[in-house]
Amino acid sequence: MTESSVVEGCRGAPPRVEPSAKEPSHMKLASLSRSLLRTVTVVALALTATACATNPADPGAKDAAYQVNDPLEIPNRFVFAANEAVDVLALRPAAEVYVGVVPDPVRDAIHNFIDNLMGPLYIANNLLQGNVDGATNATGRFMTNTILGVGGIADVASQAGIPHAPEDFGQTLAVWGLGDGPYLVLPLLGPSNVRDAVGYGVDTVGDPVRIWAYAHHGQGLMYTRAGVGAVDRRSEVLKSVDDLRRNSLDFYATVRSLHQQQRQAEIENRKGPATPDFPDYTSTPKP
Amino acid sequence: MLTRRHFVACAALLAVSGWAGHTFISPAAAQGADQGASAFIQKLGNDAIATFSDKSLSRPQATERFRVLLNAGFDVPYIGRWVLGRYWNSATEPQRAEYQKLFEQMIVNTYAERFVEYSGETFKITGTAPAGEADSMVTTQIVRPSGPPVNVSWRVRKTPTGFKIIDVVVENVSMGVTQRQEFASVVEQNGGRVDALIQALRQKVGQTG
Repeated sequence: MTESSVVEGCRGAPPRVEPSAKEPSHMKLASLSRSLLRTVTVVALALTATACATNPADPGAKDAAYQVNDPLEIPNRFVFAANEAVDVLALRPAAEVYVGVVPDPVRDAIHNFIDNLMGPLYIANNLLQGNVDGATNATGRFMTNTILGVGGIADVASQAGIPHAPEDFGQTLAVWGLGDGPYLVLPLLGPSNVRDAVGYGVDTVGDPVRIWAYAHHGQGLMYTRAGVGAVDRRSEVLKSVDDLRRNSLDFYATVRSLHQQQRQAEIENRKGPATPDFPDYTSTPKP
Repeated sequence: MLTRRHFVACAALLAVSGWAGHTFISPAAAQGADQGASAFIQKLGNDAIATFSDKSLSRPQATERFRVLLNAGFDVPYIGRWVLGRYWNSATEPQRAEYQKLFEQMIVNTYAERFVEYSGETFKITGTAPAGEADSMVTTQIVRPSGPPVNVSWRVRKTPTGFKIIDVVVENVSMGVTQRQEFASVVEQNGGRVDALIQALRQKVGQTG
């Protein structure tokens, strides 16, 4: 019996539920600056703690069905509400206008162009993860779309069967065995977690477009890309987000769950769905 | 961390399941179950398309048809119970009964509209794989008239009353898990009271239904 088969067998075992750390309820806005400092300390501690406690073979860490690691829920809900306000007042209307005014093919071209700019980061992160196949794919995509796709505006690679598979530094850290840490809602950027927020920072620093822009006093270009990118991403989920908002009892919890499940699938480069435990209730009487 | 006790327990579990797997589940039987599940999804999908292509139905009629299809294809009481998770155990019998009624109504309210607005989507089955101990995961691709195709997987269980869907996974997101975590959050936000969730469901269902 091999080590890995033992680990596989353990996935079916019931996960241990960690006692969740409750955020003190007496937190007031007046002491926000002090709490912020404390929050940063808590986050730093939590990150170190999870880095030690979580390993990829831990079955509990992979089971999205039971664990919600959100000790910072109170500040998170606050930022989430602020993001919602920005979305309702600015981003969603902008995305609606964008869909209404800009024709489909042009929007596709913009989407492809922005994504292709991230190509070098995808290649680098694949290499850092030791994923040679992934790096080969990402390189193939970047070359094909830059040359045949006229600077990236046409996604020729997808048509040629090279799949779109973004890899960021947060995923790289996950592959290296770092747990995701507490869930975080970042201002403007939205759902994340401590590990992915660090990853986002590293990706931003390493972003070739940013390096080029700063060397050529082209900060305006950075802001344009960020703005157009946000509207582009939002325009793709207009109807889905409206549906979710309308149908949710607790939209914050729904978004948190969606984000964590999708993120887990991205990290594992999983094609098929995850399989949480669905017990058989027939032995107990039904209502 | 894997303690020694866990390790022993897991090893024992693995040994037993390995033995049981060899003895009772022959590959042929597993394959048969898979094909049955996939045929079931194919038929259910065809029925749904046939039902909602008929635009002469009034809205209440279409909603009622949706409810019939829902209960034919899904084990709604099972899903309701799974989604409530550990709070099922702390709920009283009357609470459970009301919760199950509201849960079904919420699903009808949420999804009937999307089916009533049916606009020429088609689907194809792309694969079937065993899931868990005795379930099958049927993967499909839903092709939309506009926009990229969507990958949807259906977890199918064989029950005494035939095949039933117990979970739907859309682009790696399990609807069951999402609903479960949302409900858990509502209960926890209200000091662990299941009543609060039932109250919220009542409001939701009353509002849209």
